[in-house]
Amino acid sequence: MTGRVYPPVEFRIEAAHVEAFARALGADPADGVPPTYAAVYALGTTARQLFEDPVARVDFARLLHREQEFEWQRQPELGETVTAQGRVTSDVERRGIRLIAFESSVTAGGLGLCRSRAVFVIGGAP
Amino acid sequence: MRELVVEFSREQIAAYAAASGDSNPIHLDDEFARSVGLPGVIAHGMLQMGLVARVAGEPGRLRRLSCRFAGIVRPGDTVTFRGEESDHAVKLTAVNQDGQAVLSRAVAELDQPG
Repeated sequence: MTGRVYPPVEFRIEAAHVEAFARALGADPADGVPPTYAAVYALGTTARQLFEDPVARVDFARLLHREQEFEWQRQPELGETVTAQGRVTSDVERRGIRLIAFESSVTAGGLGLCRSRAVFVIGGAP
Repeated sequence: MRELVVEFSREQIAAYAAASGDSNPIHLDDEFARSVGLPGVIAHGMLQMGLVARVAGEPGRLRRLSCRFAGIVRPGDTVTFRGEESDHAVKLTAVNQDGQAVLSRAVAELDQPG
């Protein structure tokens, strides 16, 4: 699966959704878009494609998120539409444990906004 | 140093699942979670990261945030999130009520203020 690239996904940063996300973190929605809303617009949008890819055969129920990194050029604004694209940068299995490294890059108006790097473990000890 | 103490609840985990769109049953259904070898439902790693981001610094200055999800967090656990800024880096920690780190290698980089 290493090198597999998924089609870009468009996602609109909606005020009501951002507000619900901020409240779930106990943050004040008036403080703006929480930085880890990238879990939704960068990672959620693209990782879904990996999890639903029949060729990737990801056992979602046994999947644990092991590492995460975000880099931002800037934070997105309410009402903005961003484009996210994900790719598998590494997919290895050792002793029954599968490790998938998945990168997503997010742009807005053709300019870089955020990069996400996730590591997922499938079949490992919690 | 900034600090945030959070007692995790099923309600908060369910609210995060709904708001984030990550409705993996390991976060919502005890029976299911046990069937895959967990002690019961666990909090999303991204919920922990969202909370540690709150002690990392002003959102507008945040340029990079990374962590490893080192330990599981269950409803009823109390986690202390701390951020200590030096130069443009923030060393982040998240430790549960038993003194175990639930995040490791957690660090943020910030833009210069102003």
